[in-house]
Amino acid sequence: MSSGQNNTFEPITLIEPFVEKKGGLMPALHTLQEHFGYISKECIAQLATAFNYSQAEIIDVITFYDDFRTKPIGKNIIRICLAEACQSQNCKKLLKDISSQLNLTLDETNHDSGITLKEVFCLGNCAIGPSVMINETVIGEATTEKIINHIEKDGG
Amino acid sequence: MSNIIKIYIPNETSANSVGANMIYKNISNLVKDESVEIIRNGSWGAYWLEPFIEIEKEGVRRGASYRNTNLLHLKTIEDFFLDFEKKNPFDINEIDFIKNQNRIVFSRIGQQDPLDIDYYRKTKGYESLSTALEIGHQETIDRIKSSGLTGRGGAAFPTGIKMQTVFDQDVSTKYLACNADEGDGGTFSDRLIMESDPFSLIEGMTIAAYAVGASKGYIYLRSEYPLAKDFLNDAIDIALKNNYLGKNIQNTDFNFEIELRIGAGSYVCGEETAMMESIEGRRGLVRSKPPLPAIKGLFGKPTLINNVVTLATIPALLSQQHSEFSNIGSGKSIGTMPFQLCGNIKNGGLIETRFDITLKEMIENYGSGTKSNRPLHAIQIGGPLGIYLSSNMLNTSLTIESLDKLKGSIGHGGIIVFDDSVDMSEQAKFAMEFCVKESCGKCTPCRIGSVRGVEIIERLQENKASKEDAILLEDLCETLESTSLCAMGGMTPNPIHSIINYFPNELIEK
Repeated sequence: MSSGQNNTFEPITLIEPFVEKKGGLMPALHTLQEHFGYISKECIAQLATAFNYSQAEIIDVITFYDDFRTKPIGKNIIRICLAEACQSQNCKKLLKDISSQLNLTLDETNHDSGITLKEVFCLGNCAIGPSVMINETVIGEATTEKIINHIEKDGG
Repeated sequence: MSNIIKIYIPNETSANSVGANMIYKNISNLVKDESVEIIRNGSWGAYWLEPFIEIEKEGVRRGASYRNTNLLHLKTIEDFFLDFEKKNPFDINEIDFIKNQNRIVFSRIGQQDPLDIDYYRKTKGYESLSTALEIGHQETIDRIKSSGLTGRGGAAFPTGIKMQTVFDQDVSTKYLACNADEGDGGTFSDRLIMESDPFSLIEGMTIAAYAVGASKGYIYLRSEYPLAKDFLNDAIDIALKNNYLGKNIQNTDFNFEIELRIGAGSYVCGEETAMMESIEGRRGLVRSKPPLPAIKGLFGKPTLINNVVTLATIPALLSQQHSEFSNIGSGKSIGTMPFQLCGNIKNGGLIETRFDITLKEMIENYGSGTKSNRPLHAIQIGGPLGIYLSSNMLNTSLTIESLDKLKGSIGHGGIIVFDDSVDMSEQAKFAMEFCVKESCGKCTPCRIGSVRGVEIIERLQENKASKEDAILLEDLCETLESTSLCAMGGMTPNPIHSIINYFPNELIEK
């Protein structure tokens, strides 16, 4: 499941169920990002009004967390695990290979192919690394070939 | 009924990562009638075998590994059965890796569909909740105290004492927060519980909440675990429908609900005070303690915070398995510990065993050596804040006490194996880089010191003999240790110290 880019809902309709919830901002942010693919300026403004925060306070929270983004990125997000267990399985070489194959560096998006490359620290798949997550699918004993195949088959 | 042939195909992150879902699709296409039943079980945690496919026929259950196997050429289910026999299937309970373990907390993983509540009940599930509701709050806490259970998240604090503190607060609203932000590299025991035996966590949470008087619980789950999220959501629904959650649980006046909260890619949110900030909807900045969360925690109320495995252990402590658990081990290292053996290892996976086994037994007997067949060089124990041991330290026993003596920690039980191609100076640098990335930014030594740490180590990589940089690194580590609020800054020096001490001349020339 790639991050959805569905524009049929108004942000406020999505935010409302979380306003009265204790600590509802995090689930509200997740919901907005699932629907729009990122948290837009308009979303930030509506969140601030709904939660009675300043926009700066909303941005403060968004920017703390790696998962949240304020700009659209690729339809397919490749997260390559660079934590210790995958280091022992040559994830640095895999990163180099996949970077050159896709012509992407970390945190970069190729808008033609719709692919974003990101790092992640541990996917909990440590006994059969190196591991890569493509959208919500984890790939074990990952190779450049496996990653490309997966994107061509399921991602397209 | 007994003529039905059952095919078990795991639905679990690691199994799926090497093709279990694909095999499920292939085999389901071949099943044409009701003589064959496919069960999506959990994983046995013997990961080198995944996807491990089993067939149960006339009461005999055997399996075989389908790693890198394509089944597209098979035309009928009989073709699959023939193919299966050619793989010399075996009973997984007969292999040493499983047989030598002492699975008490992980006794159900791999057996059946993790969401099959009838199977859960048949295997003593929810008996312990009934026991707790019968014996009352204090007696439940007393039994957990006397069991010797300590927190399995990393800090190894006595679980019963924490529960007593929350119970003793004379406040009407209390919370339970399950820490499922399993962020340590090289760990997956929480994930395995959530995906392959989620009811044990939910029952454990329900008992703990009842014991301390909490009526609302949160599970703070990391976003990197989407399959665990699905399993937990389904298990919570099923528990609700069966009156194991919700109002008047099992016809008592006890009410308890669980809300699942998803993290957003921050390691430090696994630190309990940062986790509370995140649940409350803020940046995950650590809080200073005191006040302890048990006294003033979530939303200012007394909060019991435990990790997934700790909570999932509680049901076993209130059943007949109690004495079995508590009779194992000594000192702080009581009961079983789910070690997660991984990295460059042939037979990696989940190993629930007594603490006092040696690293040698772990790596050679369970793991069968490095996956690359190259010489073993380093073993990191206890996550990114854990120490590296060298290949001549294999007689180290894996108890909480023995790791303490080495200035390390058993942490969450991750054991990562490296062969001789590892560059230990890179591992030291990574410890600081990880701190740069994941520091919440509250304490200056952690926020800025880690950046300086990377720079110093880069200079040492150019000149290992630089006395000046060696002293500077030592000073920096001391400052991090003594002036950071939480373990992120306070323990980042641990892997670095261990590399200096146990790997002479690999980072610093003496």
